[in-house]
Parts: sequence; C-alpha cells; structure tokens
Amino acid sequence: MAGFSELIKSFEKTRDYIRDFFIYGFKVRGDFARMSGRTYDDEKRRAESWLGDVLRSDDSVRGRQISISVDCGHIFENPLCQAYGAKSFTDNDIRLHMLLLDLLADGQTRTLNEIVDALLADYDAEFEPQTVRGKLKEYTAEGLLLTEKRGKTAYYRRAAETAQDYFAKYDGLADAVRFFSLDERFGEIGAGLLRSTGLKNDIFLRKHHYLVHTLEDILLPELIAAAEQKRAVRLRTFSAKARDKADSEGGTFLAVPMQILSSVQTGRRYLAAYLPEQKRFHSFRLDFIRTVKAAEPVSNFDKIAAAYRRNLGRVFGVSFAMRRDTGSVEPMRLTFRADPEREAFIIGRLEREKRGGTLECTGEGLYTLTVDAFDPNEVMHWAKTLIGRIVSVEGGNAAAREKFFRDIRRMQRMYGGGARQ
Amino acid sequence: MMLFHEMYGAYFRIAAKVLQEEEITEQALREIVVQEGFRDSVLFVPQKLLPQKDGSDWGLLRRTASGTLRRLTKHAPEMPLTLLQKRWLKAKLSEPVMQVFLRDETLAELQAALQDVEPLYQTGFFRTVDAFSDGDDLTAPDYRERFRMIAAAIRQGEVLRISFCSGSGSRVRALFLPFALEYSAKNGKFRLYCRRFRAGHLTGTGIINLGRISRIEQTGILLPLTDAAANLAARRCSEPVTVRVTPARNGIERFMMEFAAYEKHTELDTETGSCTVQLWYDKQDETELLIQLLSFGPVLEILGPPAFRAQAAERVARQYALLFHDNFT
Repeated sequence: MAGFSELIKSFEKTRDYIRDFFIYGFKVRGDFARMSGRTYDDEKRRAESWLGDVLRSDDSVRGRQISISVDCGHIFENPLCQAYGAKSFTDNDIRLHMLLLDLLADGQTRTLNEIVDALLADYDAEFEPQTVRGKLKEYTAEGLLLTEKRGKTAYYRRAAETAQDYFAKYDGLADAVRFFSLDERFGEIGAGLLRSTGLKNDIFLRKHHYLVHTLEDILLPELIAAAEQKRAVRLRTFSAKARDKADSEGGTFLAVPMQILSSVQTGRRYLAAYLPEQKRFHSFRLDFIRTVKAAEPVSNFDKIAAAYRRNLGRVFGVSFAMRRDTGSVEPMRLTFRADPEREAFIIGRLEREKRGGTLECTGEGLYTLTVDAFDPNEVMHWAKTLIGRIVSVEGGNAAAREKFFRDIRRMQRMYGGGARQ
Repeated sequence: MMLFHEMYGAYFRIAAKVLQEEEITEQALREIVVQEGFRDSVLFVPQKLLPQKDGSDWGLLRRTASGTLRRLTKHAPEMPLTLLQKRWLKAKLSEPVMQVFLRDETLAELQAALQDVEPLYQTGFFRTVDAFSDGDDLTAPDYRERFRMIAAAIRQGEVLRISFCSGSGSRVRALFLPFALEYSAKNGKFRLYCRRFRAGHLTGTGIINLGRISRIEQTGILLPLTDAAANLAARRCSEPVTVRVTPARNGIERFMMEFAAYEKHTELDTETGSCTVQLWYDKQDETELLIQLLSFGPVLEILGPPAFRAQAAERVARQYALLFHDNFT
C-alpha cells in the first residue's frame, strides 16, 4: 500500500464511503463497484485509522463487511468528526504555521519583509516572500492574523484571543461547547475546539442523534452564503438509484437555497430550494448532494422566498410533491380512538405531533386531525406510528388511502399468527 | 474561511502538543502521537517531526547533544480562535438552548465580545420539520438554575435530593447521583441520567425529565465519579430486536437511515435482497422503538424476541379490527 496517507485532499469521496459504512453496514468490497478496489482499500484503511474502535469488521458469506456500529444516543463524541481532522497539507504549511504564530506571539505588528527576515534570522528558515505573503493572506482570512494598512504597507499581528481565554472568561461556555460538539449543525467545529484545548465532553448526550449529518456539513457554508447573498447554486447530485454504479454522475441542478429541513424521526436532512428552470420548489437530500458551486444572483429572490413561506404551510414533512405524482389532493381527515381518561397520553401525542394540523374531539373517545398537506404519503407515514388507533382515513388522495388499507391487511397477515416460533 | 482546513487537523494538534515543552524525548513524542493521532499516525508522523538528514522532516525540532529534541520555536504554541470558530459561537448564542449554559450577564458579555462577528448561519435557515411542540421552556429561570446545579453535581460527583413528578403522575423525593444530561431535538427536552442513592449505596440507573423536576437540593455528599459509559451500558436491552426489511419501496435505504442512530448488526440475503437486522436499544425506549418499526408497514417484519413481536401483533390486530370489523369505516 505504497503512497497511502491518513490524510485527504478533498472530502467528497471519503464522505461517500463513510456514509455507506455507517448507514448500511452490510456492504462488502464488491458492493463498492463505483470505485476501484485500490480506492476501496485505501478508504477502508483510512476509516479504520480515524474511527478506531467504532468501525467493525465482520465476515459474512458475501465477504468481509465493514460497518460503523454505535448507539448514537449513548456516546459523548461523534467519531465521524475525525474526518474533519484529516486535511492534507505540505511540509511548508505546517512549518510556516508553527513559526509564524511563534514569531507573532509577542503581539507586535510586522511587515511582510520583516517577517521573512525574522524567519531566517530567528529560526534559520528560508521562505520565498511570495510563499509567506500567501500564508499571511490566508491566515488573515481565517482570522488567525489581523492586518492593518499604513500607507501602502500591510502590517500583520496575531489575533489575541484563544479558546482557553474564552473558556476561562465566560463561565459555562466550555459546557456549551461540549453540548454543541454533538450538534447536527456544525458539531465538528465544537469538537475541534474541545480537542484543541484538551477538553472532552463527558456529560452531554443526544437522543435521536444522527451522526452522519456531520459529513454533510461540508456542503452547508456554500448554501448558507448563497441564501444570504440571494444567489443560486449549481448542485451536482448522486443518483439515488444508481449510486453504486461506477459511472454514476447523478444530475446537475440550478437551485435557489431556501432552508435546510431536517427530520429528527427519519434521520434525513434536505435542502429546500426553488428550481428556476422547472419553476417549482423541491427538497434535495443533503447526503445525495455531491458538490455545491455558487452561481448567479437571483433578482426575484424575495418574491421566491415569500412564495416558499406560503408553501411551507402545506408541507407536512419535506415534500412539495408534484401534482403529476400525487394527483388531486384534498385535506386529510384522520380519526383516532383514545380514552380521554386512561389514554390521555395519546391525545397529548396528537397535540404535540400534529404540526400544522387541527385536532378536534369528534365523538366519544374519537379525535380527528385535519391536515392540508401537499403529500398525503408523508402524513400516512407518520399516522402509522399510531397503528392500533386509526379509526378512519378520509381525504388526501385515493392512492394514499388504498395503500394504507392494503398495508394493514398485509400486516395482519404478517402478524396474524401472533408470536413467531 | 474553511471548514475543512489542516489547522484543525490531528497532525497540527500533535505538532502543537510536541512543541509545548522546550525539550522532549523521542519516546514522549511518540506517546503524544499515539494519544492525539489516528490509529496509524505513529507510522507517519514521528518521521516528520524527528530531524532527518535529508531534510524531509517538518523542520520544527533539533536533536541535542544528549539525544533529546529541542524545539525551534520560542513559545509554547497558542492557537487564536479562528473566524470560523467565532462565527460558530455567535450563531450558537442565538439558540435558546444556550441560555441553560450561560447566565444572562455572561451571555451579554459574550454577545458584546462577538458584536462585530457575523454568525455562521441564521437560525431561521434551519428548520426541524417534526420536532414535538411541547418542548421544555429552556429560557425559564428555574429551569436554567436547576440545569446548572445538575451539571455542577455531575462534575463534582455530588448526590442531589430531587423532587419530581414521575411519568405516571406520582410525586417522588429521593436522593440521586446524576451522571449525564441528554437532550432530544425531537422532544425539545433534557433528561437526567442518574443512579439512585439509597442507604449509602448506589442502585440502578434511571432517567428524570428536567421539565418534571420541581426542586433540587444539594446534599454535600460527594462520591467518586462513576463510569458513565458503564452506567449507560447497563441500560441496554438484554436481547436485541430482530427485524427483516425488504427492498420494496426503497425500504432498506429508508430503514438504514432512520435507524442509523441505533447500535445494530445487519446481514443481507443476496437471494431475496432482504436484510436481517439486530437492533440494540435502551430498555426505556422500547415503546418508541416499537411504533417506529410499525410505521414501516409491511416492508418490515419484527421477527423477535417473541414478546416484542407479540406487542406488534396486538397493535396490528387492533388496527385491523378498527378498519375492517368495527363500524367506524
């Protein structure tokens, strides 16, 4: 395995592999036909190196299957954050990083020439001024250095505050960072802060915690920037059906980002966006987006955003559904049975899970939820969490209703024998 | 401003730790690599830190006459907060949950310190579509105070006297040793993991919803810190639930995503394309797991354990009767 490195230049390929190890857990080498065997071996070894104990390897009749098996609700660190600590770099990058921050540790301002001279004089380190200028510019953008112009000359100094300073000064902040290190929104930044200061989260847990979202975070800065700047983005997606094919290129879409929609029950996160070419809203699964590139400004962004907000009222989950898929849709009326005395918890559930729906008592022990949603299938998927309580299903569309009745008949046949021997 | 940048990387962290002391031995250096690095880092990093005759190292250390390693730098490395980290902190300040960690005056001070920093995102850009609507009021002064008391007690290993109303409605006032705090974005609630302290001994683990706690009193009883991981492991079910998932309606993909948070073992049957999965779960979450599995409909069959399957069968039979036997349809 000559030339193997634990570090990677880009996140794209690795993200894809780790996701499959994590989500599926039954795939073997041959299932990763989209890449060469050598690539698979390297990605697997990297994952083993980063993830250590949480990566599990089992022999099955199909071959050795790699999985990431953790009880996500009972862990204090998200192991997948490790991937963010594996960016490759050059020898010059790390040397210049350490020497520059050391030279500027005194808080004094220096010009580029003074810095280049001091690196040679104090550290016996000879760097081209161009190399140093590039690093100074990069570190100014990253906030490690501050720049001020005096005439035509730029002066550089090191930013003063460290994470340790903040944790010492702001009581409770270290615990907040521990908590947010498991967050689905950029938890890896918190995890990195903890590691760099030698702290660990050993208190906070997250229930309904989908670790894999951290791999999708790499897409978010570009989407956030586009929404704030009222721009479109060009998305390149994986094809959901042909994901395993080596030549799978997915599709490309011009999209205007509106929001990130996440489901804490299905474990999926979506980009809700307007598609100008198709003139409609659509939700893209983040784990199916390969890359995001900034595109042109959108002149009618505010109008689109207002239409999006109006549409949201009829989105039960994430689907904006197309009429050609769903046909004509009426508001759904789902009636549930619950004893108000002994089963108040069911009525409580309906109240807190009804989203935009309206709940009313429609008879003795009968509660009817009316939901006007674009996609009746989303409502029915949720309704099935109340199996054993559903008295009637009306409205929506015929296909969704029939599917539900058919499903219950099939389940009755499936479980009709009671406990399986 | 980059999320994926080498300065947040494991190798930079190792180098910073090695340069903490003016001089270091080769053995101590290797130990740092093992502690801070990835599993295989010890194969790659020491040779870049140790001075090499051909100059292929990172040029950060020199070998002394006594054989130890002396750093070229003059100070112990300090990493300033980056703009990305500040923007992340600023964004988090806008989330209501931040209020349980920081007192109002601290929050205001931190807001002032970051006043010129743009938040990494506006909280409105993210929307959780299926969170429950009756989450805890994380901004209530009593709630925040109790939260901080618990967090302090976990850190110190202090037994607390907690008064709360249980899920069944009974009032409880007893001694508990807290060891973890859990947040659910779905429920919008914090729950306290604790062990009961009775007659001078720790007994089984339990969970208390913070929103149900009416009073917490400090006892001054300090115990050695317990192993939270072991306490949590004790809550795991003794026998996993086994299910078979068929590929119809993209069932396997949907199932694997939805149950990604569970510890599980999966096997694919290449002939049928079905997948058999064993799932381990916290005993207290059994009902939640059952309804989540049933929501997959006939795409998924619960195979065992028998008692768990029987619960599913009972609910399905009740549902079948409601739709096809009763007069409600």
